[in-house]
Amino acid sequence: MIESNLTVAVIDPSRARAAILEEGLRAAGIGRVVVIPDTVDLLERVTALRPDVVVIHLESPSRDILEQMSGVSRQVERPVAMFVDRSDTTMMQAAVDAGISAYVVDGLRAERIKSILDIAILRFNAFARLQRELSEARGELADRKLIERAKGILMSMKGLSEDEAYKQLRRKAMNEKRKIADIARAIVTTADLLG
Amino acid sequence: MRLQLGYVPLCDAAPLIAAHELGFARAEGLELDLSAEPSWATLRDRLALGHLDGAHMLAPLALASRLALSGPPSDLIVPMQLSANGNAITLSRALWEAMRPESEALAEVARAFARVAAERRAAGRPLTLGTVHPFSCHSYQLRLFAEAGELDPSAFRTVVVPPQHSVEALARGLVDGYCAGAPWNDVAVAAGHGRIAALGCELAPDAPEKVLAVSKRLDGATLPLVRAIARSGSWCADPANRTELAHRLARRNYLNLDAELIGRAFAGDVILDAFGASRPVPSHLRLGTPVQEPRMKDAHWLVSQMRAARQIPHESGAAAEVASIYRPDIYSAAGIS
Repeated sequence: MIESNLTVAVIDPSRARAAILEEGLRAAGIGRVVVIPDTVDLLERVTALRPDVVVIHLESPSRDILEQMSGVSRQVERPVAMFVDRSDTTMMQAAVDAGISAYVVDGLRAERIKSILDIAILRFNAFARLQRELSEARGELADRKLIERAKGILMSMKGLSEDEAYKQLRRKAMNEKRKIADIARAIVTTADLLG
Repeated sequence: MRLQLGYVPLCDAAPLIAAHELGFARAEGLELDLSAEPSWATLRDRLALGHLDGAHMLAPLALASRLALSGPPSDLIVPMQLSANGNAITLSRALWEAMRPESEALAEVARAFARVAAERRAAGRPLTLGTVHPFSCHSYQLRLFAEAGELDPSAFRTVVVPPQHSVEALARGLVDGYCAGAPWNDVAVAAGHGRIAALGCELAPDAPEKVLAVSKRLDGATLPLVRAIARSGSWCADPANRTELAHRLARRNYLNLDAELIGRAFAGDVILDAFGASRPVPSHLRLGTPVQEPRMKDAHWLVSQMRAARQIPHESGAAAEVASIYRPDIYSAAGIS
């Protein structure tokens, strides 16, 4: 159960990823969600905000700053602790796998932050999946363009039809156990050099 | 066998990087996958949770991780030390000019610092100094610096500044100085923003700086790994290899910084300010033998520093527990001469 009186700070070097988490937490009913940029004045910003929970991406170098705000240093008004529920290693593994760490104000009960961490894990994993799909799609598009260019080169140099050009590419790829896009790249590179 | 090792991009990560680059690991039948970690906290967590088999680690953080003082439960052990010394306290040029110490001697510099720090506290604008993590020799060296000037360490604020932010934090006046490892003091000096005021090796001679922390799970692979990194460490310590080492570390996939700046730490000739004032300090950063041998005396020194920083209570059993964390027996078994 998410409570609306909590303030959650999100720190992430990726602004797009931070925005996705911010939206998720808002939609779940968190009263106040603030994205803090990962810049040199981060400590001042966090201190001024006084968040109850800080969700930070593992890629952020600023994690060590939050460790400084822990009870160990005894220098801060509202010490935070890393959210480590020692009874739940699966949860911790899932968080680290998704790239997340969380710091909570001392005294905040574990069950109050669990749902926040659950949302963060889901959102960050979805973001990683989207990125993977996007880069695959980009790769496929680039491959298709290469194959089109190689076909064009074969057609003009050997006087082949489009269909024959493609068949030659495919046969070569099968014989050499390589991808059609790799054969196409070789043809395009060679044509660039010789042309 | 393939091993995942983590490090934070610093000069004293050299023994891990060279073990991979120069074939010391391969000679032991090991393939190293090195990963640069963005923070000490993340390195600690990834080692504790099994993403890493071993890591280049702040010696106090290794103890704190295993003693359940910092991060998730960990089974790490310390079979070797990687480096001694290497840190320095860099102060902003404005602070250094306000201090005007009578000489370069540590006692004079520390007294001058204490005077300005006391003035600033009385004026309600206490100085702010940066460290790299609560559990670091850097934090302890800042306290020792204060004590060398007979100053109460609570007279100034201590904050963590990630090394890659340190020069900007100094230039913008967010901190008045910081204690960092090589090459981050040299970077501030070269940029004209900082003055190296004190060296770690003067504040705490031969302090255990970084260790190799490995998971207990590593078991049989620990010995060959220790052998590979110890041989690599000796190679790194050889003055004949300094230039090559600096150039390898400078690459984009490692430190991604200027090779000349990286090389300063190994040269033992510390350049203190933008005008080129320098001081020969052969023990500024020590690698190789004999510092690689993990010594129980150093582990106990770390515990005493953690106590002085009130990170562990005086009556805790930490001193007894470190005997199962620091493992000179493994180092001996590796047969490094």
